[in-house]
Amino acid sequence: MNKKILIVEDDVVFCRLLTKFLSRNNFEVMDAQNGRDAFELMEMNEFKLAILDYRLPDMTGLEILEKLKSKSPGSKIILITRYGDQDIANQAIEKGADAFISKPINPNELLEVINKL
Amino acid sequence: MKLSISKNVHLVEPGDFEPTDHWYPRVLNSNIHPLVSYFLNLTHEQLAERYHRLHPQSDLASILEILRYQPQYFRWAGTDLMHVTNHEGNRKLTVIETNSCPSGQKSMPLLDLNVEQGGYKRLIERTFKPMVNAHLMDGALAVIYDKNPMENIGYAATVADVFEENVFLAKFDKADIDPPVKFDDGTMYVRNEKEEWVKIRAAFRYVTQEPWNRLPKQTKTLILNPIEACLSGGRNKEIASAAYDVFNEQFKDKGIGIFTPKTFRKVKYAELQGHFDRLGGSMVIKVPDSNAGQGVYTVVSQKELDHAMSEINPDDEYLIQELIHSNFNKNLDPSKAWYHVGTIPDSKGRSFAFDLRLMMHATAEGIRPLAVYSRRSRFPLNQELPEDMNSWEVYGTNLSIKGEDGWTYADERLMLFDIRNFGQLGLGIDELIKGFIQSAMAVYAIDQNAIKTYGNSPIKDYFTTQNQES
Repeated sequence: MNKKILIVEDDVVFCRLLTKFLSRNNFEVMDAQNGRDAFELMEMNEFKLAILDYRLPDMTGLEILEKLKSKSPGSKIILITRYGDQDIANQAIEKGADAFISKPINPNELLEVINKL
Repeated sequence: MKLSISKNVHLVEPGDFEPTDHWYPRVLNSNIHPLVSYFLNLTHEQLAERYHRLHPQSDLASILEILRYQPQYFRWAGTDLMHVTNHEGNRKLTVIETNSCPSGQKSMPLLDLNVEQGGYKRLIERTFKPMVNAHLMDGALAVIYDKNPMENIGYAATVADVFEENVFLAKFDKADIDPPVKFDDGTMYVRNEKEEWVKIRAAFRYVTQEPWNRLPKQTKTLILNPIEACLSGGRNKEIASAAYDVFNEQFKDKGIGIFTPKTFRKVKYAELQGHFDRLGGSMVIKVPDSNAGQGVYTVVSQKELDHAMSEINPDDEYLIQELIHSNFNKNLDPSKAWYHVGTIPDSKGRSFAFDLRLMMHATAEGIRPLAVYSRRSRFPLNQELPEDMNSWEVYGTNLSIKGEDGWTYADERLMLFDIRNFGQLGLGIDELIKGFIQSAMAVYAIDQNAIKTYGNSPIKDYFTTQNQES
């Protein structure tokens, strides 16, 4: 089994599709649909990588990024933004994100980004 | 596949179908029971002849007419049936409800191991594709849904494979204030990656929560099933019950009829107590447009009646049905009482109530069975119900469980029609035939009700183009 990955995205189908895809590529994946659930998972697990949507029902992906970086400084973060959200992408990089990708997401391209981190 | 091309919309591409994603893990490792496979491959002629043998008074031609029927609106359906018996040991399959967006593929073992898309492919290839081909309109294809991602991703991937084109998979949730699906003058549009609205020529629909609030009637975009199927009984127990009565009257001279528990419609809140007393202290209260086990109350005591009445709206009207009883009770009227046959007793002697979900689709041959599975109750029929336990534990068969982190399902109560589980149900091929023909009659009744209410659909027969109207 490869890295343990956390996906935080409020779209259940997105989580399901990406979880299945990454599982088939030998990653251990957990997902949350909001920040609160993500924090709970982070308390109980050590994630090497997190894929965070910027827009969540109860907070932004940047807040989860900060929490995860403070808990596990070595963890890698990929922030998902909407196409054209350059300001958010810049903020994410400033706060320590390792990569950002814009929707729509091609799982194979995301896999390439993950493998480069 | 492209994920999140816009909010709650994904683009599914040919080749995206992954078998492990669209069945429960247990089902992936199951083998269909040979008897079930045999049943699913019987011809209409064999099914009708056998039903006629089992019911000598039934008119063979009428049974064939129903099986060969081409529904105009209700072309994909699922019925929930229960296996019941009476004082004389006369066993029947009784129709509990009929559903216009039935789940079931994820619980159905493969019929043919060489067709890895299984029932998903049979439904899309034999029902949806001929409809789309007969519907002359340009635009994209979509799957719209509000529940059940496991099956709906599977449907979208199958549509993409069968049509060899990309498919929009869009969530059309009733709580979404800015949904990615809209209708304009009867044409459906889905929001794409550029936030533009893309015209849809045909959509596979699994929208179950008050769909009439979002889907218009008489759409120009072809929809399987259109909302007319829901409004005519596919999603309303009250209207379905009335449609069954019309059917039974129409076919009473032909010796066939839809068998349901005795039903009382449009029962006012204030009349519930009276029905409870007249029915001997037990009944089932149903909210007419409820589904998935929600809004259904089994009542076997005054305490349970009081509880049910505290939860339902005093201003609404309800459907009341006689309870299918757990055990013999000499105080019940022998001419009316029906009992659960239940599962074959396990090694601890426990027998459980179960239902049978039978999914059907309209094909070139007519109505065909597509998928089948069962769900059993939590508490056995043949043990005394503890004081503090609700009778739903004995009679309720829905698998949904509300947990802290959302809905899940009770896997241990899912009964597959595979080699391991099927025998435990005590069903034989004759019961499957009876259940299927009861189900086909229910589909016929509801579709006829739709035609009576909304007129003929523009295309009456998707398999013969000469029937297309200009």
